[in-house]
Amino acid sequence: MEIASACTIKPAVNAKGLVRTYRRGAEQIRALKGIDLNIQCGEFVGVVGHSGAGKTTLLNLIGLMDRATEGSLSVLGHDTARRGVRFDALRRKNIGFVFQEFYLMPTLTALENVLLPTMWGKARDMTEIGSAISDRVPSRQRAAELLKLVGLGQRMTHKPSELSGGEMQRVAVARALVNSPRLLLADEPTGNLDTVTRDGIFNLLLALNRDSGLTVIVATHDLSLESRFTRVVRLEDGNVV
Amino acid sequence: MIWFKLSFKNLIRRKTRSILTVLGVAIAIAVLYSLFQFQQGYQARLKGELGALGAHVMVVPKGCPYEAATIALHGGKWPRYMDEGLLAKVKANPGVAEAAGVIMDAVFAPGNKNVILLGIDEDYMKLRPAWHINGHWWGDTSGDRKDKVGSPGLGQTSASDSDSSVIMGSTSAQEAGLKPGDYWVVPEKNVRLHVVGVLNRTNTQDDGFVFLPRKTLQKISGLEAKLVIILIKAKQVDKTDALVASLKASEVDMNVFPLTELLGTIGALMASTKVFVSAIILIAVILGGVGVLNTVLMAVFERTREIGMMKAMGGSRGDVFKLVWAETILTTVLGGVAGVVIALVSSRLVEALIRGMIPYAPKGSLIGFSLPTMAMCVGLSLVLGLVAGFYPAFRAASVKPVEAIKAE
Repeated sequence: MEIASACTIKPAVNAKGLVRTYRRGAEQIRALKGIDLNIQCGEFVGVVGHSGAGKTTLLNLIGLMDRATEGSLSVLGHDTARRGVRFDALRRKNIGFVFQEFYLMPTLTALENVLLPTMWGKARDMTEIGSAISDRVPSRQRAAELLKLVGLGQRMTHKPSELSGGEMQRVAVARALVNSPRLLLADEPTGNLDTVTRDGIFNLLLALNRDSGLTVIVATHDLSLESRFTRVVRLEDGNVV
Repeated sequence: MIWFKLSFKNLIRRKTRSILTVLGVAIAIAVLYSLFQFQQGYQARLKGELGALGAHVMVVPKGCPYEAATIALHGGKWPRYMDEGLLAKVKANPGVAEAAGVIMDAVFAPGNKNVILLGIDEDYMKLRPAWHINGHWWGDTSGDRKDKVGSPGLGQTSASDSDSSVIMGSTSAQEAGLKPGDYWVVPEKNVRLHVVGVLNRTNTQDDGFVFLPRKTLQKISGLEAKLVIILIKAKQVDKTDALVASLKASEVDMNVFPLTELLGTIGALMASTKVFVSAIILIAVILGGVGVLNTVLMAVFERTREIGMMKAMGGSRGDVFKLVWAETILTTVLGGVAGVVIALVSSRLVEALIRGMIPYAPKGSLIGFSLPTMAMCVGLSLVLGLVAGFYPAFRAASVKPVEAIKAE
């Protein structure tokens, strides 16, 4: 089974002078203060730093969930500042997200949760990218295989309330992979897990990168994981250090 | 289909709230279905009842026209009478083809059952060409009258005992357990009458009446030479108005109604209530819609992070809009279907309540099974969902993923 779509763009992520400011009342907060960054396809990058360093803000920008205030950002060859770029379609086709909170739908089974992203914009995707999506059909079969891959082959019909924290995060990883992304972003994916479970999830992400060449960017404040990334981007107070 | 499956699963997450919202819509739709059907049933039944009278014009004593209509159509005891001598004057009018004088009374049978007695004669039969009598007409000694159905082997009724004969409507006979040849004692009057015939079912008000020779009923009710109603068949239907005018001019002590006018008068009364009823329906539907809007909007606020997550996974504004809209439509359509079911189940009760509030209502079931009305109700609930769901769906679609995921 093809886990990820081939990433041939060089670089996968290219940021220059990236600035993101927020307004909180009268106060203006500069979450990112001019970041330059290059991430190549197939890298396993850790964005590390303490809480408030700007990790999530950076991931949100790379994940096309937010727009930079200043600077330029290219994700998988798409200039995000260009007018007419449909972030939702780009995200759907290219980027998988894993959050600290798992955000699984409580009424759906593990399998249905994994299938959820296949619902979005399907008709449009079919016309836009043609055969690329048809490679993923049937979605149910792919979702089931992904759940087996993350070690939940026996838990497909279980609802989130019947799963442990680690299992829920595995479902979230499978869900992030269901549309064969080129880029996997994980924001504190092990933040809510105990050490053993944390290692399990981390090893899973590592294996995905190693075995399928999926580009993975993980934001974490857990400095003990640093040595396991192929590259570390250290953030401090909105700057790369 | 998957959208509706997901929407349904979202709805059942908060069962009580969803059920209450569906119930709100269901009640509004049930009111709509019941009242709409009542209006339609009322018109149809009223036309049917007036048609069953077999007359074009009705002459009644002075008094409330609705009371007169009720008496004419449903029978009963009405303490207003006309002199029997009027009948001859009416018959003498050149525009009259047939005229039948009727006296009415009502008695209580054991079990507090109201029995309507109609005193009629051969003239009444001329207005009822479709009658089929199982047995025979009083005074008909041949036993082979065209109306006779079957041969129950009755003893022949002599002219002298025809005054103590009675013909039962099919329902009256069934309820009293009588058949041709039996004897029936008139409740309260203690007079024994010979059942010479039973009407085959007519599916009109006649089924519930008991028909006596007019003279007999006048005598046992102490209303000699009195009439309650004169039913008139015009020679030329298109000249009914002229006939009515001429009858009105000839006698001042009576009310003359063309039945079309009665239909129009009662119709106008119903039309005036229709405005009131429509206002109630509109308010009920709007309240139902506001309830749905409130519930769905609340659910959108509660699920902001979840919606943000959907968008993070690539869901577009349109996808989220569709999902929330589908939830709303599902809620209102479920409510619509439930409302129709509630209306059908509670039709008897609703009918009884409405009948108690209006001056005249035709007999028989007025709220029934109607596919077009059902389709209209479910269609309206769909429109309600489309309208009520638009704003919550728009709000949900406008959620920015990055802000939603940060939201607590």
